[in-house]
Amino acid sequence: MTNEMTGKKYKSKSKNALIGKIVVYLILFIIAAIMIVPFLWMLSASIKSNREVFLMDPFVWIPEVPKWNNYINIWTKIPLLKFVENTVFLTIVVTCLQLLTSSFAAYSFAKLEFKNKNLMFLAYIATIAMPWQVYMVPQFIMMRGMGLNDKLLAMICLQAFSAFGVFMMKQFYEGIPNDLCEAARIDGMNEYTIYAKIMLPLSKPALSTLTIFTFVSTWNDYLGPLIYLKTESKKTIQLGLRMFIGQYSSEYGLIMAGSVVSLIPVILVFLVLQKYFVEGVASSGLKG
Amino acid sequence: MNEKKAAQVKKLEAEFSELTQQIYTENDIVKKRKLIARRDKVRWKVTAIKNNRRISRETKRELIAYSFIAPNFIGFAVFTLIPIVFAFVLAFTNWDGNNAVTFVGLENFKSLPTDTFFLAALRNTIIYVLGTVPLTMVASLGLAILLNQKVKARGFFRTVAFFPYVASLVAITAVWSMMFHPSKGPVNYLLLTVLKVPQADLPKWFSGTLVLLTLILFSVWKYMGYYMVIYLAGLQGISPELYEAGGLDGANTWQKFRYITWPQLRSTTFFVVVMLTINCFKVYDIAVMLAGGGDGKLSTSATVLVYYIYQNAFNYWKLGYSSSIAMVLFVMVLIITLIQFRYQKKLEA
Amino acid sequence: MKRKLLSLLLAVTVSATMLAGCGAKATQTQDNTAVTEKPTATTAPKAPVEKEEITLKWAIWDKDITPYWVALKEGYETANPNVTIELMDLGSADYMTVLATELSGSASEFDVVTIKDVPGYATLVSKNTLEPLDSYISSAGIDLSQYGGVDNQITVDGSLYELPFRNDFWAIYYNKDIFDAAGVAYPTNDMTFEEYDALARQVADPTYGAQVYGTHYHTWRSAVQLFGVLDGQHSILDGKYDFFKPYYEMVLKQEDDQICRNYADLSAEGLHYSAAFSGGDVAMMNMGSWFISTLIANIKSGEYDASLCGNWGLVKYPHAEGVEVGSTLGTITGLAVTSVSDQKQAAFDFVNWVSGAEGAKVMAETGNFPALMNAEVSGIIAGLEGFPSDAGSKEALSVSNLYLEVPYAENVSAVNDILDTYHKSIMNREITIDEGIAAMNEEVGKVLGK
Repeated sequence: MTNEMTGKKYKSKSKNALIGKIVVYLILFIIAAIMIVPFLWMLSASIKSNREVFLMDPFVWIPEVPKWNNYINIWTKIPLLKFVENTVFLTIVVTCLQLLTSSFAAYSFAKLEFKNKNLMFLAYIATIAMPWQVYMVPQFIMMRGMGLNDKLLAMICLQAFSAFGVFMMKQFYEGIPNDLCEAARIDGMNEYTIYAKIMLPLSKPALSTLTIFTFVSTWNDYLGPLIYLKTESKKTIQLGLRMFIGQYSSEYGLIMAGSVVSLIPVILVFLVLQKYFVEGVASSGLKG
Repeated sequence: MNEKKAAQVKKLEAEFSELTQQIYTENDIVKKRKLIARRDKVRWKVTAIKNNRRISRETKRELIAYSFIAPNFIGFAVFTLIPIVFAFVLAFTNWDGNNAVTFVGLENFKSLPTDTFFLAALRNTIIYVLGTVPLTMVASLGLAILLNQKVKARGFFRTVAFFPYVASLVAITAVWSMMFHPSKGPVNYLLLTVLKVPQADLPKWFSGTLVLLTLILFSVWKYMGYYMVIYLAGLQGISPELYEAGGLDGANTWQKFRYITWPQLRSTTFFVVVMLTINCFKVYDIAVMLAGGGDGKLSTSATVLVYYIYQNAFNYWKLGYSSSIAMVLFVMVLIITLIQFRYQKKLEA
Repeated sequence: MKRKLLSLLLAVTVSATMLAGCGAKATQTQDNTAVTEKPTATTAPKAPVEKEEITLKWAIWDKDITPYWVALKEGYETANPNVTIELMDLGSADYMTVLATELSGSASEFDVVTIKDVPGYATLVSKNTLEPLDSYISSAGIDLSQYGGVDNQITVDGSLYELPFRNDFWAIYYNKDIFDAAGVAYPTNDMTFEEYDALARQVADPTYGAQVYGTHYHTWRSAVQLFGVLDGQHSILDGKYDFFKPYYEMVLKQEDDQICRNYADLSAEGLHYSAAFSGGDVAMMNMGSWFISTLIANIKSGEYDASLCGNWGLVKYPHAEGVEVGSTLGTITGLAVTSVSDQKQAAFDFVNWVSGAEGAKVMAETGNFPALMNAEVSGIIAGLEGFPSDAGSKEALSVSNLYLEVPYAENVSAVNDILDTYHKSIMNREITIDEGIAAMNEEVGKVLGK
């Protein structure tokens, strides 16, 4: 009797669980579709002719004669290669500087004692809450005064020293037990060696996360380069793509091909680093 | 003089070896640390005397600490802090970037309430924030809870949800404006053929009152993956024992969420809401790219604060006026952050 | 004590940099005036040589796709062997914004700058970055009447800061093949707006899949609003814009009846006017004369499909009842001398050459309209290979009255943006025509009232 009842209960429970699972998967698939369909559409449109892009009846994902030419033509229609070069250069330099200087500063904030520590950290925190747009104009005037207008270096100065990076790395380092540093100090290591030999190797997840953030935001930045980079040979891929859209408004296939090209590097970086990603966010205190 | 020094060194060296002895015998880690610190001090004094150094140990320690901070802080101070101070000053001037600076007091702020375009920008920005923040929060939390369960291909779903975040705005706004094209786009085509919406009533996604909705939907779509990851991290910090205990008490799924997940995620939600608010107030490129048409100009239905800041600064060269609008933006962000902060503190108390 | 010293040091450095930043901006203007007051200080010592070597830096846009920059440079260098013109390409996308940025402060190295539009001109003048040309003009003995009154529309408080060298006017481009296929007579050089509207409706074909648009309006406000200024009674600086109304009504009605493309669609896809006309489904389009050289060049190179748009023609703008035929809109491009240049006379000589007869010839030969327009010049352009051979198109090049799209006013930049904004709102049907015009009246009134 009791056995039967528990069996029944178990059965209905498992039935509920099954329905629950199905609902969960259904929702997930719908969300995944919403997330990914625009990208598939982009891929599909990038090998279509202008007429085919908006052809709905019948709609095909891959046209009968794919226009692979679109991927060749975009390189000649605009100096895309130059734009890519500029962006790659900027992104790599900014990311490296950001990682290096933020983790350096964060180590000091997390593990060392010094005067005005709280005041200085407060300055960082306060600017996180300050939208860049609030001071972009004076910043621009100042940079121009320094002769940095229309120089890639301006973008580097602008993006390499973010408060966010320091904040994130500091949160992460605080999660690393102090004993580890103490022990190293007992062994006679100086602070620089401790940073290099102990802290850095431990901070892979946080560094990966910061890399993704910095890489993505530098690669995709639009307003910054728009203000600072004026000469065509210095423009970044986002500006170039936007310019291309302005000039060849009805060349949908080409625009989409250009867009696909601009996405590849960020997506690659993300895919490579993503296994550390959630861990990095969790351990760097970004969750609050 | 030298003799005195030698005596001093000798005394210190004795102290040093004694301390070393004590360190090896001491078991209590706290005391041990203190001893080490003392010994370090002694050792440092010795070398200081030997080398005729005058910098104190504290100063050296601080110099090391500052040396870590300097590379970032100098850049940060020059390129961020100074411009911020500059921005505050500029808001009270009518500088045009070339002629002499004149201070105009509160003039700039006084003309704001009668400026139709500023008011439109303010209104649109607030509507956008009010729409985007809660929607993104709910969507990302929901998705995070789903993905925190044991589902197959979890990694796949996570990656896919994060895609829009990493994708460049220029590229995906181009896709959106094609997909939501008012007369040729697939979205309206589906509305026309599947939902049988009459052709005349097909929504014009990028103009009129709908444009803000489009901006909101787009932002939720683009940013939910990012906040989902933050929520996921928060969820992983919740101890499973809490749920087990809840299960024993017979809590159902909703109750578990209401009494365990939600309160446990409070600080995460705080962080998410603050970051979302800040980011939403900054909206510019999304609006220009989706609603700007060919020339990137926004009409009153889609104009936002940052757009108006940019216009005033780089088209009219009213740097003072543009800075005063920036101040309004800053004050709003600040107030919302402070309210959040107070609320968070109250909950924790 | 020493720690205090250190933090003090830090504070001092920070505030010093800050002061330096602020100080720099405060002194900049003084520097400017200082530079203007000591003319050619650097070149004076080398004076003994009869004709000294001079290098002028000239700000331009899109060097590679605009044929006349290099032609003008070479023309001038041949005539003046001691002068080298250095072209500085700032790109066309945000040319005036970039230029205004470059000219702010004392760091600019340009001697001559090209002025693309009047709002940008107004900005540069109010920023004191351009040199007033009056004394140079009178000492060179230039007769300003050669510009047909255009100079009056860019005079600032009695002074002229630029000389126009290029002057484009608006006309109607039409696709002969479409008219032939529909069996409709071509547009003529003497059309009233009623006739133009009727013609557009006649030639349009709304059949789905084979749609032909009777006419096309680019998203610029000039394409619609400015039909209203052709009577010479109104200007966009009036502050009262009720005269826009009949034209908005005409265009919106055409949209409703699918005679022209929908503004919302155009805006969503950012369709370029050249793409619209070269697509072969637009019978007529109002556009500036700059499109002539683009059209000719691109049809020749095969960039545009000649079977779709190769057979085109040109007629004068339609006119309202009672308004003189040949009244149209104009856009001028000018050259100015910067106030920081240290070789102003040499710079002005170049400006004078480009905007004078020799420059005009170079412009015409490259298919562009110089500000100095005369029969000879239109003859050169009409004789270009690829220009329509019919007499009507040739005739369309003669203009009776030219009204600038945007004449000069101190706040013209803000006025321009207000009109743009509400044009957008009206065309997107966010507000009615009356509401839009009322809003324009009010907002522009505020700006002009200041």
